[in-house]
Amino acid sequence: MHWEVIADNFDFLMKGLVTTFKLAFLSIIGSLVLGTLLGITRYLRIPFFSLAAAAYIEFVRSIPLILFIFFIHFGFLPYILGAQSSFFASSCLTLVIFTSAYVAEIIRGGLDSIEKEHIDAAVSLGLSKLQRLRYIILPIAVQRMMPAIVSQFIALIKDTSLASTIGLIELTRSGEIIYERTYHEFEVLVFIAFVYFLVCFSLSRLSRLLEARHYIVSDSREALC
Amino acid sequence: MYEIDFNVIVNALPQLIKGIKTTLFISLISSVVAFLIGFVIAFLRTMGTASLRAASTIYVEVIRNTPLLIQLYFVYKALPGFGPHLNPVTCGIIALSAYTGAYISEVFRSGINSVNSEQYQAARGLGLNKLETFNLVIFPQAIRVVIPPLASQFINLVKNSSLVSVIAVTDLFYIIYKGAVDDFRFFEFFVVGAFLYMALTGFIAATANTIEKFISTIQEKEVRI
Repeated sequence: MHWEVIADNFDFLMKGLVTTFKLAFLSIIGSLVLGTLLGITRYLRIPFFSLAAAAYIEFVRSIPLILFIFFIHFGFLPYILGAQSSFFASSCLTLVIFTSAYVAEIIRGGLDSIEKEHIDAAVSLGLSKLQRLRYIILPIAVQRMMPAIVSQFIALIKDTSLASTIGLIELTRSGEIIYERTYHEFEVLVFIAFVYFLVCFSLSRLSRLLEARHYIVSDSREALC
Repeated sequence: MYEIDFNVIVNALPQLIKGIKTTLFISLISSVVAFLIGFVIAFLRTMGTASLRAASTIYVEVIRNTPLLIQLYFVYKALPGFGPHLNPVTCGIIALSAYTGAYISEVFRSGINSVNSEQYQAARGLGLNKLETFNLVIFPQAIRVVIPPLASQFINLVKNSSLVSVIAVTDLFYIIYKGAVDDFRFFEFFVVGAFLYMALTGFIAATANTIEKFISTIQEKEVRI
């Protein structure tokens, strides 16, 4: 065992981790925005747009991410649109396109899960469509969507490792660079897996904690009534 | 201007068929193994002794919180340092089975938890042992609930199987990308690749629907008797 290889290259690996974080963060923001737009479009059943959103979502969800990332970076951007882009920009664009389709389905599911009685009550109170969405539907739906959204973001963080296949030097690729030089594959891979595990596992625990707190709040509210 | 020419696809057809065969082979074997792993882990997590429960929980959490790419690299590059050299296809099957097995076990577990605990107590009260209770009472009831999420895991498996191309397996994605690069025909190969993956995943979804209907009709008949 040669664990000193981790200590020797710790700074390099952490630089990779920072790139992974940056990529994940920007992709989360982007896919949340695009996914929400798509999800609400599908929920509202606007004639043409809903169908287009549904087609987009189904298309993206049935294709592997690696196909997207390679063809967007090496095919579409340089040869069809004529725009060279950095590894980082291509990876980010791909992850946004990919994850937004999944987020959109979660958002739509959350919005659709609202019981009809809530909406009827809101209508009878004279709330407009937008007010219903803002004050009645979204607060409940967001709470229901949170666990699924967080697990989607955990999947996204794991998916950022695919950016290494086109050459972005994030955590996985920086590890590869180290073991291609030192041949200590086992130590490096275990360490990288451990770092991913720490990030993803703590995120999932955090989401469970938030979930539990929500339940406590809603329980006490019901007790007060 | 980019001129679309689908003749390149016709020329690449023999290669594409080979790629589809490899992808199907890997996906089929992995899905069987993953199903078995999922079954065993779900059994251990719900009915095993404390230490077995802890071990299977650790397995599931570690697998689910680290990227599949790292696991693939681990099997392909780090394990040979300890044991026999496996060929890339075997490595791919091992990693995909381990990865999907963890997810499938979670699907099973939620299905098992959806069965009332009275069923378990009644079965044990009738003198069935734990394995019999699981096989004869709990599992048949859980399987119906479990089919849709199980199908989506198999769909994910087919899509994830494209990752084996990074460890030098000539699967469908590899063939598509190689064709695109060799002929400089990114658009055509992307369209064909997307279509093929959509066909594969669509086939699984349709099969799952049929099986779900089939099982529910059988179980209804049994209830009537």
